[in-house]
Amino acid sequence: MDNIFLEPLKRFVQKIAGFLPNLLTGIIIIAIGFFVAFFVKRFFAKISIFLKIDRLSEKIGLDQIIKRCGIRGSLSGVIGKAAFWVILISFVTMGLDSMKMLAVENLLEAFWLYLPNVIASVIIIVVGYLLGNFLGRAALIASVNAGLALAGLIGKFVKFTVFIMSATMALELLGIGKDTVLIAFAIVFGGVVLALSLAFGFGGRDAAKDYIDRMLKEKKDEDDISHI
Amino acid sequence: MVRAVQAGLAKYFPDRKAILVNSDGGSSDGTMDVVDKVTIEDFQPLLISQRENLFSKIVTPYHGIPGKGSAFRTIFQIAKELGVKACAVVDSDLRSITPEWIELLIRPVLERNFDFVTPYYLRHKYDGTITNSIVYPVTRALYGKHIRQPIGGDFGISGRLAEFYLTKDVWESDVARFGIDIWMTTTAVANDFRVCQSFLGAKIHSAKDPSSDLSAMLTQVVSALFMLMEEYPDKWQEVKSTDPVPMFGFQFSVGLEPVNVNVDKMTGMFRLGISELGDILKEIVSAESFTGLNEVSKADTFSFSDELWARVIYDYALAYHKKVMSPDHILKTLTPFYLGKVASLVIEMAESNALEVEERLESICSAFEKQKPYLIDQW
Repeated sequence: MDNIFLEPLKRFVQKIAGFLPNLLTGIIIIAIGFFVAFFVKRFFAKISIFLKIDRLSEKIGLDQIIKRCGIRGSLSGVIGKAAFWVILISFVTMGLDSMKMLAVENLLEAFWLYLPNVIASVIIIVVGYLLGNFLGRAALIASVNAGLALAGLIGKFVKFTVFIMSATMALELLGIGKDTVLIAFAIVFGGVVLALSLAFGFGGRDAAKDYIDRMLKEKKDEDDISHI
Repeated sequence: MVRAVQAGLAKYFPDRKAILVNSDGGSSDGTMDVVDKVTIEDFQPLLISQRENLFSKIVTPYHGIPGKGSAFRTIFQIAKELGVKACAVVDSDLRSITPEWIELLIRPVLERNFDFVTPYYLRHKYDGTITNSIVYPVTRALYGKHIRQPIGGDFGISGRLAEFYLTKDVWESDVARFGIDIWMTTTAVANDFRVCQSFLGAKIHSAKDPSSDLSAMLTQVVSALFMLMEEYPDKWQEVKSTDPVPMFGFQFSVGLEPVNVNVDKMTGMFRLGISELGDILKEIVSAESFTGLNEVSKADTFSFSDELWARVIYDYALAYHKKVMSPDHILKTLTPFYLGKVASLVIEMAESNALEVEERLESICSAFEKQKPYLIDQW
């Protein structure tokens, strides 16, 4: 009876007893990491005030970019938060590693191998978002200055095309449905172009004729003003 | 052009040594050859004594970045090397130039010690709208001088000022590419050189280039104006009043070629700008200006007040200064609103004569002067 119930229980207790110091070490490392991260964040906040980073960011327009990315707060806040999470994640990893659990170790190894792809994907998404906004706005302004009634649509089309392209690249980098995403993008993009062509060809013949007539008429009514 | 300049020099400065410089930007239509060969063979019909031995030419391509600035730099360098007392620069596509222009651009420098002679043209009431609605009022309000054509293109300068221009580090910048006219005027005024105007009569160019893009042109001129505001903030902020500058030449009136204007197209562009660029505009102009622009767009009778226009331009200058977004995007959004102001002026001045038009421009200038404290306060 002892062999059946007590032996496994003893082994379990021994394992738990063997694991407890590792667990304690891991928890202490994570707790230290939390405090270090917290103090580094505070340190960055003070250094940023001293170096006037927020004023510089405002001057060069970086705060506008941050706002447009949907991130609340100033540049110094963003730097502080980034430092906090980098330090905390590093300590959490060390803490989990010190617990010497095989499954966790494997998971951590996979995580570290995958991390560069995640970082690169985030950068691609952010750059794609900013570039999409910039080019979308440039297209919108140019279309308005050319007097195109569909200026808003053109601006949005350019903006989303750039963003979707960057999202596709990011997903491909993450290995999520590699070919599927690419093919889906090509089909959707090709489909949109085809749909627009057909819509213009069949449904918009009269509109196209009116537009061309109007353009020709406008050419005749062109201003002679010398603006300079 | 070459004959007019030669006749002007022979008629009005017969005892002075003179040199004609063609600073060429790489033209492939034989301009350099024409300038080199064209000359007045017989001065008798012009009632001028021949003085060919005192007149010579330099026909040279300019070096540096392409643009009017590099062409001027070459002329100023030649002026400096030769130690000239006065220099007149005229656009090569002018059709209305007469020998008298040369006298009017040079004599104030030679005999009255002025350093910069700006042109005063007679133009159709709808022409020169960027000058009339933006450049003249802003320059006048900021620097306090009533220089009617700050970007005229034709001017006279002293050798002293030409040398001063050469000391400035702008010749490889965007200013040399497209903003050289306003840069020269502002630099002369801001550095206390003596400035005057000469009445030249009508200014008629060769037919305008159909490919010239209004938006690009407006962006270039306004960006040069705003860049100069960054360079001389102390100077323009201390100016509290404005004064006329001396005017030379006999003022006469001439019949001007009619100008076609498509007001509906302009107001359409304005309304399109309001409806599509609203979100961007909110970041550039103040809430008050934004509301005002929307009211103009919705009103049954199209009318864009001078006060609102001055406020909008100052808001654009502030947005450019504070870099609220890409400078190119800021400036390019101005085109539809500029066209709105032009349309409003065209509607208002439909029945006005030249004198009434000038009075109307005084009202625009006055609005810019009244709003200047707002600009200084927000800068």
